[in-house]
Amino acid sequence: MSHRVEILDAKTREKLCFLDKVELGHPQWYPARQSLRLDPKGKSLKDEDVLQKLPVGTTATLYFRDLGAQISWVTVFLTEYAGPLFIYLLFYFRVPFIYGHKYDFTSSRHTVVHLACICHSFHYIKRLLETLFVHRFSHGTMPLRNIFKNCTYYWGFAAWMAYYINHPLYTPPTYGAQQVKLALAIFVICQLGNFSIHMALRDLRPAGSKTRKIPYPTKNPFTWLFLLVSCPNYTYEVGSWIGFAIMTQCLPVALFSLVGFTQMTIWAKGKHRSYLKEFRDYPPLRMPIIPFLL
Amino acid sequence: MAAVAATAAAKGNGGGGGRAGAGDASGTRKKKGPGPLATAYLVIYNVVMTAGWLVIAVGLVRAYLAKGSYHSLYYSIEKPLKFFQTGALLEVGIVPSSVVLTSFQVMSRVFLIWAVTHSVKEVQSEDSVLLFVIAWTITEIIRYSFYTFSLLNHLPYLIKWARYTLFIVLYPMGVSGELLTIYAALPFVRQAGLYSISLPNKYNFSFDYYAFLILIMISYIPIFPQLYFHMIHQRRKILSHTEEHKKFE
Repeated sequence: MSHRVEILDAKTREKLCFLDKVELGHPQWYPARQSLRLDPKGKSLKDEDVLQKLPVGTTATLYFRDLGAQISWVTVFLTEYAGPLFIYLLFYFRVPFIYGHKYDFTSSRHTVVHLACICHSFHYIKRLLETLFVHRFSHGTMPLRNIFKNCTYYWGFAAWMAYYINHPLYTPPTYGAQQVKLALAIFVICQLGNFSIHMALRDLRPAGSKTRKIPYPTKNPFTWLFLLVSCPNYTYEVGSWIGFAIMTQCLPVALFSLVGFTQMTIWAKGKHRSYLKEFRDYPPLRMPIIPFLL
Repeated sequence: MAAVAATAAAKGNGGGGGRAGAGDASGTRKKKGPGPLATAYLVIYNVVMTAGWLVIAVGLVRAYLAKGSYHSLYYSIEKPLKFFQTGALLEVGIVPSSVVLTSFQVMSRVFLIWAVTHSVKEVQSEDSVLLFVIAWTITEIIRYSFYTFSLLNHLPYLIKWARYTLFIVLYPMGVSGELLTIYAALPFVRQAGLYSISLPNKYNFSFDYYAFLILIMISYIPIFPQLYFHMIHQRRKILSHTEEHKKFE
């Protein structure tokens, strides 16, 4: 059965436009999972694209592809960050069945272990708050299977790291308090840096919009890294984890940093490429993630 | 599983030794074959690998005839086996199909050769080793000759049939050999603390190779059926399609 839809002006009742022969089907394909394109193998059209501006004649043929079940970015971020926060604490408090029973609910005698818990928890609380109040997402959703993949990664690594740092047989850093202080400084500076970049990026984009602009350094010294890299938020993030690895002198933390660095480099290179493609006047000195190098 | 993934990685026409529009399977020739220099390289590679695995096959037969028994034949083909199976690392990246699947397959074979059989001397005399060596040998001889002929655009139906049929027996055989070998290695790994680190140490890290091997064995449960049934599906698609083509000749 086909429908005819008319849109009238609310005040004048004037007929503005109509859609003829609308056939309703496939209600399970909600908008977030629709990909419409001009060519079956081509790129997906954007939400903002306007039919008039597309290279179509009087009859426009669009090709549909189902993107699969979708989930909102906010949901994914909240879930993947809440996990590590909670899981790390299970190990910190030495909840039963993790270490031997004689260690249940005992506390480490090493200061660095308590410090590490504070840093790790702070890091993920910061991420949760940024997800809720700072970030402005370009896309509303991502494929549902990502949440399983992402949570396995974050939760798995968090458990693995936390197991060793909070272990009764944990060995504190070789160079003692000196090493811990230096590492803590690196961590704190990079956390502040990362936050500054997130704020700067947010200010580039008005609420509800999806505009893209070249980010530039602001008065905040932490943002001056924009002079040298496209994605200083990733640079600072890697720095934070390197700091945490040095602080805890724990190989799994170093491995986590390495994997994260690899992934962020891929993302930074992609972002850098998009910037170059979109903006003719993009600053040539900038590298994707590591000044002068990468 | 290492045996299974070998063919699964090269689904359809190509894989492993590269493809140059073999013109079988789906019937659509892939126009974007490699250039003449690349084709020459691929042909040489596949011929060398076919020859290598034939050397292993011949070595096994000769050792069997000389010894009069099929026990402990591993020692007679140890070197070429290590050489040619490790050499397959060169395939990763020149394969048109998924780099992930190919590297997974080659890594698992290399793991079995070096991290299990080579590392745990006590299992080298196990019959399970012969089981997977035979499975791999037959599979690889067929697979590399399949690629060679495909590249030269002259693929005998017999080879295609063999590639997509013999796996039905060879996969389970290879998987059994692999699992039994890993299982046999376990007590020796535990005893020697092989490749294992325990706490406390200054890098706050531990690794239990024994537990790791058990995890590997468990991983066969989800992975093997997927690869096996993928091959069965491929077989139906490729062999029935050729039947149709032959009908109209």
